[in-house]
Amino acid sequence: MFGSQLRQELTVMARNGEQLLLLIGIPVLLLVFFSQTNVLPTDGLANIDFLMPGILSLAIMSTAMVSLGIATGFERSYGVLKRLGTTPLGTKRLVAAKVVATCCIEITQLLALVAVGLILGWNPSSINLPSLLLALVLGTSCFAGLGLIMAGRLRAEINLAAQNGLYLVLLLLGGILIPNSELPKSIAWLAEVLPSSLLSELLRNIFGNNELKISDLASLAIWAIGACLIAVFSFKWSD
Amino acid sequence: MSAKSCELRTVMVMNNSDPSRQDALSVRNLVVDYGDLRAVNDVSFDAKAGEVTVVIGPNGAGKTSTMEVCSGVRSASSGTVTALGLDPKKNRLELNSQIGVMLQDGGVYPGSRVLEITEHYCNLYGNRTTAKDLLTAVDLNGRQKSTWRKLSGGEKQRLSLALALAAKPKIAFLDEPTSGVDIFGRDLIRGIVRQLAEDGCAVILATHELDEAQRVADHVLMFEHGTLIANASLSELRDSHRGASQSLEDIFRSISGKSQQSRRL
Repeated sequence: MFGSQLRQELTVMARNGEQLLLLIGIPVLLLVFFSQTNVLPTDGLANIDFLMPGILSLAIMSTAMVSLGIATGFERSYGVLKRLGTTPLGTKRLVAAKVVATCCIEITQLLALVAVGLILGWNPSSINLPSLLLALVLGTSCFAGLGLIMAGRLRAEINLAAQNGLYLVLLLLGGILIPNSELPKSIAWLAEVLPSSLLSELLRNIFGNNELKISDLASLAIWAIGACLIAVFSFKWSD
Repeated sequence: MSAKSCELRTVMVMNNSDPSRQDALSVRNLVVDYGDLRAVNDVSFDAKAGEVTVVIGPNGAGKTSTMEVCSGVRSASSGTVTALGLDPKKNRLELNSQIGVMLQDGGVYPGSRVLEITEHYCNLYGNRTTAKDLLTAVDLNGRQKSTWRKLSGGEKQRLSLALALAAKPKIAFLDEPTSGVDIFGRDLIRGIVRQLAEDGCAVILATHELDEAQRVADHVLMFEHGTLIANASLSELRDSHRGASQSLEDIFRSISGKSQQSRRL
């Protein structure tokens, strides 16, 4: 049952060409373009070393929030979730299939981006694998929660716009392409506490072999738990 | 009290057909509210295994809401539903493995392919039904590679029926299975519905096409404005309305008129 559902999730995802663009195309393009040009302020780091952690958190955001959120929103409006609700599949197996599908896509994305990064001369000092895993799990949970809050309530078309809109905001205010220190003071404080900034900052410290800020970890954890809880309690299975 | 309204009363209490057939579904005092709107108002009925129970009534009469509560998709505001001895909300997965459901709008992702989605549903129910057999039964074997999006209205309905059959159901909830279906498709669906009942399944079929209803019904539930205005076997209904042309449409008009009159009084 679980296996069959997982296959469905991955098939639906793979069939959507625009998803592929969002999940691989955009992050790779941004990575290549901005590492080869000198238009971005990079906080004193080499272009690629500044970009890589941000682009990785962008990738996590695109899969866990935008892609999962849009797909789930359409499933809700097409009545797919309602229809599955009459089968013996059950919510737990459905959610598990979505979690595993999301992880599969993230792993593929990360491998692709790391490969491109290494070709472009990325040279991380050393990588603390447990910290990296923790940051990725927290980031994924947080973005999945945010995506599903919108997917569980909004009409499919509005959901589509909202996911993309939030993606853009979190990209610009996430320390992904532009360091938060370059932002005007009036919004810098806001950017600092957004989950995209927190994840980018954590990844930057992990790859730079710096101490992790416990406050960053804790804030991201609060985002993750809060978003997932709201998603669980606000989610409507059909319009 | 006129003779006709006496007749109506008899119709409403007659519910004693074949005692060997067991109640697969039992609904008592069901109420469904959407905010201020009462969609289903104090409805009680039983549906027997081996029978086709047809739920008829105009749009918005409460047919779909009743079916959705019975199949566990929706919660009741009050009242009880017992399906195969189970509570559709508390024993949801246990019940789900024994019921087949056809929702009013398919519930299939537009990009899903016919064979792939049918195989998926076979896997979900995990019995030995094969996708190819199901597709043969609904005459869609030639469309295996087609996406849901590209199917005609009638083909969508037939595929949707096939997915419900994947359950090898003991109760089948079919909501408007023939809407948008051409004449050959209707014959085919009707044949499957009769076969299900012969195999001992309790078929609950909602429709507002009364001609379709009287072709397949053993038992009839008439809904109007959320209330059940008749609950009787098709033959009982016909016996009690000898004067009418015996069509369900005329019988419905006659009973519906009565209930509107009595409401006005």
